[in-house]
Amino acid sequence: MNHIEVAKSVVKKAAIDGVEAEAYVVSGTQTSVQIRQGEVEKLSYAGSKGLGVRVLIDGKMGYAYTSDFSHDSLDQAVHSALELAEISDADPNRVLPEPKPIVDEDLAIYDSSMDGVSTEEKVVFQKAVEAAALGADERVKVAAMNMYMDSVTEVSLVNSKGFSGAYQSTFSGAYIMVMAIDGDERATGFGYGFGRSLKALDPQKIGRDAGEQAVKLLGGSPVPTQVATVVYTPFAASSLLGALSQALTAKAMQRQRTFLHDKFGEAVASDMVTLLDNGRLPGGFATRPFDDEGNPTGATRLIDEGVFQAVLYDEYSARKDGQVSTGNASRRSHTGPPGLSASNFYIQPGPDSAESLIADVEKGLYVVNVMNTHSINPVNGDYSVSAQGFWIENGKMTHPVNGVTIALPLDQLLYNVSQVANDLTFIPMMGAIGSPTIRVDGVTIGGM
Amino acid sequence: MLPEQSIQKIINTALRNGGDLAEVYLEDTDRLTLVLDDQKLETATRGSDIGGGVRVFYGQTAAYAYTDDLSEEALLAAAEAAAAAARSTNQARVAVDLTRRIPSVTHPIKRPFDQMSIAEKAALLRQIDQTGRATSSLISQLMTSYTQTSRRVWIYNSDGVWAEDERFMLELRASLVAKRGDALQTITTGLGGQTGLEMLDERDPLTAVKEAAETAVHMLDAKPAPAGEMTVVINNGWGGVLFHEACGHCMEADFITSGASAYAGMVGERVGPDFLTAIDDGTIPNRRGSLRFDDEGTPAQKVTLIENGILKEYMWDLTEARRLGRESTGNGRRQSFRHMPMPRMTNTYIDAGPHDPEEIIRSTKKGLFAKRLGGGQVEIGRGDYVFAVTEGYLIEDGRLTTPVRGATLVGNGPETLRQIDMIGSDLALDPGIGMCGKGQSARVSVGQPTVRVPKLTVGGTDQPISGLMGG
Ligand SMILES: [Zn+2]
Repeated sequence: MNHIEVAKSVVKKAAIDGVEAEAYVVSGTQTSVQIRQGEVEKLSYAGSKGLGVRVLIDGKMGYAYTSDFSHDSLDQAVHSALELAEISDADPNRVLPEPKPIVDEDLAIYDSSMDGVSTEEKVVFQKAVEAAALGADERVKVAAMNMYMDSVTEVSLVNSKGFSGAYQSTFSGAYIMVMAIDGDERATGFGYGFGRSLKALDPQKIGRDAGEQAVKLLGGSPVPTQVATVVYTPFAASSLLGALSQALTAKAMQRQRTFLHDKFGEAVASDMVTLLDNGRLPGGFATRPFDDEGNPTGATRLIDEGVFQAVLYDEYSARKDGQVSTGNASRRSHTGPPGLSASNFYIQPGPDSAESLIADVEKGLYVVNVMNTHSINPVNGDYSVSAQGFWIENGKMTHPVNGVTIALPLDQLLYNVSQVANDLTFIPMMGAIGSPTIRVDGVTIGGM
Repeated sequence: MLPEQSIQKIINTALRNGGDLAEVYLEDTDRLTLVLDDQKLETATRGSDIGGGVRVFYGQTAAYAYTDDLSEEALLAAAEAAAAAARSTNQARVAVDLTRRIPSVTHPIKRPFDQMSIAEKAALLRQIDQTGRATSSLISQLMTSYTQTSRRVWIYNSDGVWAEDERFMLELRASLVAKRGDALQTITTGLGGQTGLEMLDERDPLTAVKEAAETAVHMLDAKPAPAGEMTVVINNGWGGVLFHEACGHCMEADFITSGASAYAGMVGERVGPDFLTAIDDGTIPNRRGSLRFDDEGTPAQKVTLIENGILKEYMWDLTEARRLGRESTGNGRRQSFRHMPMPRMTNTYIDAGPHDPEEIIRSTKKGLFAKRLGGGQVEIGRGDYVFAVTEGYLIEDGRLTTPVRGATLVGNGPETLRQIDMIGSDLALDPGIGMCGKGQSARVSVGQPTVRVPKLTVGGTDQPISGLMGG
């Protein structure tokens, strides 16, 4: 039985006596390859599948999941979901979405060339990443976490309101971390590449990026504590945007779990800042034809030239506000009901190059890596992370910096964005976060 | 589970192209999660995750294939896939007979999860919610959750290992928001461990949520934390997460054998003051990181990492131990059958030291008391770490004064460890809701006595306070 049929049979079993039911099936194959010193260290292959069933009895929700598709096991899941719905609290806004037309267009999320890639090619690819990293400079001594991974995934979704849909996607990614060692000095560099197929990745670039970054960061030291300009690379900015994406959901607004909760319609950022979410961005890492409860995905302009004008909705939060879902229901796996989160979430790029943006800085920090990003607090806007990068003096990078913190409440940080470059880059995180290089003034740098 | 002959057959299939060691790992996990948010029980989830994996070692390579189907046929197919990767340099070999290992430690539970109905568990969450809200009218949001996990694992390998473990995990969490005007303060608290429902009798969740609510309200008055270098005193219990992140990860064998860790090649050398001893102990009864056997069938152990300031041992899994022809320390753990094992911590703590905890504060003229730490992160290569302080106080003339928010501790693990100048006698382990991430997530526990570091970088938004240093 194919998976859409499995989902239909589960919905049919559950949706009796006015019960609303939805079944979500995710299945696929995964491969990962780890290389160490030119040899294969770990290889892993798998095919896996899982089903989650959500039921609503008069607005009371129950959810159950299983990876076993035998009749008994599926029956058990339906039974558990119904049982759990009984002890939940009713909420009239909790209903499954009515089916809506899904535009049939090529979203460029499935690359059939992945089918023909052998394990050997993946091994050769990741060996090349390691060789390029170690070859970048003689001070690059150690490669760790040198990993390639890919997957082919199929999602099938059916609900008792008549929705039925499925799509396939592919993903291919490589990552390497290296250490440069020079006497007592040590520094870490990393390189990464992501795409819809192995052919989209360049092993030389991934390796070289890691090696060169590690060498450049050798000899880093803290700078004195001060207030200065900070220039974020797209990678360094992505964690900041990740927290912001949580602050911009309808759920966070409705439950006042965002520092922006009473700012709707107001200017909340400098006019350089336009923030978008687009679940249909061609090829985007979070792109899909419909969200994880069957609503069509789409584009939402959340902050327009600094003005906060929209939030992200799923079916539940939209009904609560008398709005329409923006197609942002999403789940990490079949083991939980859909939550609400951003898809391809990004800052609209500006006209200037990253180089010209740095050249304009009189005194500041160019940040290439930040740590402790999960402590960024979207509820009260606290933002304090540690940073690594290079000191900028009169538009030139002078020396590597590490062991400093950068801090500024998020509401002020948004206002202090003074330049946005044209090098928009996406990082697959929860969804996909994209940022160009950005300049923020008046940031507290904690150091010596 | 599967009969012994099936396991033998799977292992032999895995070794058909040669290989040094073949292993079969089977898992059956059942989980129930209830979430109460905005005063409504809105998510109730139950499910099972069943599957297995076959791993073949040949030289320094390990090939792994897994499946979510526990039939003999599916596992034989996985064994074939793993075997296909093995080079045919060795003769096909046959496994020795399996011998069931008897655990030397147990983590018995007294009240199985089914002794309370799901409705009663939901009622407990409502009670916690009401208690938290009743503590103060300033508590604007409260989310509580109940999670019970029953995880059974079976591990077999061609050296004759046959080990089984059964892990019952209970976890209660509450995350609160206190609000006054524009000021918002969040706090997360919880109780957990490898325990049955007896935890609810032994440790009072209502007291825990009340304390958390009081702290959240109290922190509304917090001032922005100062930025700069200062003396930092770290609270006992969960404060041990700093050692876990900043030093513990650097003592995991994979980072040692690759040479990536700052602690590589340092066994026998001084890495801290002579009153510092640090331990990773998977055998402590019923703690969150405790095991009978690790996920490779090695018995859980108590590993002394640092003794009187001298580095003694790292944490090993089979992969890294085989590389050096030594034994694993029982630290091979995996998130599920979908993951390959790697060296991980279990319950990690700094042992009790010689100083009176009150004296540690009293003897500090100016500094920061990090009462409650949030999450942290370490960069393995250098051992640089960063931590959020979710509840902090200034220390002025030996007394705790102003609460501060938004503080971040930044330092270098090995350097911080060397600098520690006082360790209290008040060793405590954490409340048991810790989760460690290293590409895979693992339940761990941490602990320590009150610890003082004379000079640490604190990141905050406020200007540096002049002279906020010294002992
Ligand atoms: Zn950790």
